[in-house]
Amino acid sequence: MNEELDSQLSAMFDDELPAAECELLARRLSRDEQLKARWGRYAVIGATIRAERGVRLNAALASRVSAAISSEPALTAEPAPQPKKQWANRWWQPMASAAAVAGVAAVSILWMRSQAPEVTAQTQTVAPPLATVAAAGAGTPVAMQVVSTAEPDSYVVPKNAPRRLVVPSTELANYVVAHSEFSSPVTRRNLLSAFMASESGTTAGTSATGSEEPTEDVQDDAKNPQ
Amino acid sequence: MSADISDLSLVRRVQRGDKGAFDALVLKYQHKLVKLVMRYVRNPAEAEDIAQEAFIKAYRALPQFRGDSAFYTWLYRIAINTAKNAVVSRDRSPIEYDLDRNNTDESYDMQGRMKDPETPEGLVLTDEIRSTVNAAIDALPEDLRTAIVLRELEGLSYEEIAAAMDCPVGTVRSRIFRAREAIDRRLREVFEGGLGRVEELG
Repeated sequence: MNEELDSQLSAMFDDELPAAECELLARRLSRDEQLKARWGRYAVIGATIRAERGVRLNAALASRVSAAISSEPALTAEPAPQPKKQWANRWWQPMASAAAVAGVAAVSILWMRSQAPEVTAQTQTVAPPLATVAAAGAGTPVAMQVVSTAEPDSYVVPKNAPRRLVVPSTELANYVVAHSEFSSPVTRRNLLSAFMASESGTTAGTSATGSEEPTEDVQDDAKNPQ
Repeated sequence: MSADISDLSLVRRVQRGDKGAFDALVLKYQHKLVKLVMRYVRNPAEAEDIAQEAFIKAYRALPQFRGDSAFYTWLYRIAINTAKNAVVSRDRSPIEYDLDRNNTDESYDMQGRMKDPETPEGLVLTDEIRSTVNAAIDALPEDLRTAIVLRELEGLSYEEIAAAMDCPVGTVRSRIFRAREAIDRRLREVFEGGLGRVEELG
């Protein structure tokens, strides 16, 4: 028998043969009865060196198993599912979950950023736009002219949103009064009361915000021009 | 080198329908499996029966073996489960020894094996194999004997043996092969000569 082949067989028995050579030798081993017998004797040598007490070295266990297997149907070549694929699926599952969470978070942040300027404008009603006071001239009576500031002082501070106050127009009030003869007294009274209430509320609101009347600080500045 | 590659190459062949490759796996692991089963049953003949059943179960289950673990650990697990089940079923239905029954009954064979697991002939054969192998090992040169003992008794890899013996891995491979060849030459005489009837036993 070829010595190189026997050397390979010995290395394969010890699981020390490269995979490519293992494939070739496994094919030969499964068919060559002499090689198989030598392989079996290698196992007996190992069992003897390990002094496996109670194990019958002469047992024909392999022959019995082989006889039993011969009556079994040959296994079909159905490749078992590769663990790598399962691992890959398991790897993608948390990635998909993380991507979904990240997407929701990104949409939430964008939505919050888009809402942020409006919120700031609504909450900044206390700070009135700065008024520019123009003095008519030194020594002359102070004439205050409040100029509406269309541009903010800083781009950091968002521009005040236009106030949405429900102020009944004079035309509408006149219209209601003029057509009062077609409405019931109770309805007319309610409408007028509502107008008067809203008008008084508006006046109080505007004075509180000072959007139309200059504040005391501004008046002082106007009285004492630098 | 990846572990279990030689077993895996044989397993893949069996999975493709090559029954001869399974014979090689049985030859390699039969003694280890019987020794393992003997932790559950003391009787060698019963241990061999259980080992045989475990091998057949393993063969039938081999299409489901994916190689996640080493083949021998998978095989050992099957053997342990088979041994445990055998012990449980034996305890549930103990064999009744009826010496008045006909000797042609199959249960009588089992009965006889249980009573006398190691026949004198079997003991002689095993002893002769052991003495032959031990004598061959003693006759080996020191470096060959050290290499084969470190491999078989200590279970060291070729690389570990090379480090221990301060020689290249190729030299270790050659020493182990030559040691096996020297032992096998004498063992083959026993198997093919006076004890050629070994395969007929069991």
